[in-house]
Amino acid sequence: MTYELVSGLETHIELSTKTKIFCGCTTAFGSEPNTNCCPICIGLPGTLPKLNHQVVRYAIMAGLATNCQINNISKMDRKNYVYPDLSKAYQVSQFDKPLCKNGYITLDSGKKINILRIHIEEDAGKLVHERGDTFVDYNRGGVPLIEIVTEPDFRSIDEVKEYVEKLQLIMKYVGVSDCKMQEGSLRCDVNISVRPQGEEKLGTRTEIKNMNSFTFMAKALQYEYDRQIDVIESGEQVIQETRRYNDDTGETESMRGKEDAHDYRYFREPDLVTISTTDEEIEQIRSLLPELPSAKLDRYINEYGISATDAAIIAKYRKVAEFFDEACEGVKAQKIVSNLIISQIFRRFPTDGEKEDFEISITAKMLNDLVLLIDNGKLNMNLAKSTLEKMLDTGKPVSELVSEKDLSGVDESALRQICEEIVSANPSAVSDFKNGKTNAFKSLIGGVMKATKGRADAMLATKILEELIK
Amino acid sequence: MITREEIQNIAILSKLFIDENELDTLTQDMAQIITFADTINTAVEELEDFEDINNLSNVFREDEVLPSYDRSLILKNVDGGENGYFPVKKRV
Ligand SMILES: [Zn+2]
Repeated sequence: MTYELVSGLETHIELSTKTKIFCGCTTAFGSEPNTNCCPICIGLPGTLPKLNHQVVRYAIMAGLATNCQINNISKMDRKNYVYPDLSKAYQVSQFDKPLCKNGYITLDSGKKINILRIHIEEDAGKLVHERGDTFVDYNRGGVPLIEIVTEPDFRSIDEVKEYVEKLQLIMKYVGVSDCKMQEGSLRCDVNISVRPQGEEKLGTRTEIKNMNSFTFMAKALQYEYDRQIDVIESGEQVIQETRRYNDDTGETESMRGKEDAHDYRYFREPDLVTISTTDEEIEQIRSLLPELPSAKLDRYINEYGISATDAAIIAKYRKVAEFFDEACEGVKAQKIVSNLIISQIFRRFPTDGEKEDFEISITAKMLNDLVLLIDNGKLNMNLAKSTLEKMLDTGKPVSELVSEKDLSGVDESALRQICEEIVSANPSAVSDFKNGKTNAFKSLIGGVMKATKGRADAMLATKILEELIK
Repeated sequence: MITREEIQNIAILSKLFIDENELDTLTQDMAQIITFADTINTAVEELEDFEDINNLSNVFREDEVLPSYDRSLILKNVDGGENGYFPVKKRV
């Protein structure tokens, strides 16, 4: 029998605010333990939380960017559970009135992954285990999170991966989070169940907590899919529980029975007042949203005529896409810009992380100046490429690297004269070419380019040479 | 009814120092608090959802960093902590 995978995702994303959700402590990553703390975020009795306005704005931006409706009236609730990383023994979260609801993200296949809700909450502290002892660092305690909950709409591991990548990119574009999985600013809890192909009823699900890498997530999902099928095939039943993925064994292992909402004894947080957002405020936030990745991709392919592959590579990195857009100002052939970025500039940014940060020595305007010269036929491609290298090395604009003489190019009669000289100086290459050695032609073109210091129009030179040899 | 011993026990669990001669007053106060809480239980439940506390909404702070506390103060209640951390007591 074949089994279908059914999966839903809860994604926790750390917001890029400067301060924590309920106090003015910094959210800076990597500080000495317990140095970004105050009585509020270590949960001392008698302290009062005050909500960071930016957290609400960011959550609404995240919601609008994922096609959510925004609740005009929203509130905070206490989620009670006892664990040492939670200073107050409850987490301030949202239960029945989250800020955002009913959104979706569209996959490349056109399939929509429905988003049930997005709510805001505080992060817990970090447990450190050392020689059998456990310690707590509350620097992360109180850092604002949004939790994005999907319907169980995923039917394959690839769909899960694509969704997380898309979500990550959208959040980076909108600027609400850096979504760095390795630093834990994007973590996923994955719900998974299996059912016989064609069956309508959902199987019993398990939940794998705190996945912060694509590789682990794919491995854990595959393992859990196989494990649940084995359990069912052996005539037993899948138990609803929380499991953890152990990368040393490549297996998931049981952590604890799955809690249901009532186990958390949710109740309204009495120390925080209602969050009310008017339609005007929502529209104002919507107007501040940047162009989203899907819209950019669409524009690159349909308006600029760039291949889907190249467009995706550019749109994958927010800073690159912004650089590209600026470098395309007034350019007729945007394809030249994308080619220069992908085939030439990216050589200096080999890793994903480097492309992400994109600390480039020239401004987009400088690339724009260069491309406009190509566009207007003032600079040929070869010379443009070598000039770009010099620009990247020195950070200087094209005007300082290319002389007026270079820009004037070589006119046709001068070029014809040079071609004639090259042909008469290389009789062996000419006869080789006549004998069918097409490579010999390249050395003739090379000679012309060398003689003109790369200023000649290669197409025109080819045409003249062909005429001369025939 | 709440007893002196219970108050003493709560004080120990909460790591609060209570003077012997404060105990009687505290026991009485606590008894009053519990009676008050019982009064709330007798209140008639309204089905109306309470959206606002005191009709207040949107009390926000702006996203501006304030100095955090000195770590020695943060860790004061755990006797200075261990290497800058809060130690977690082992549970049986
Ligand atoms: Zn704080």
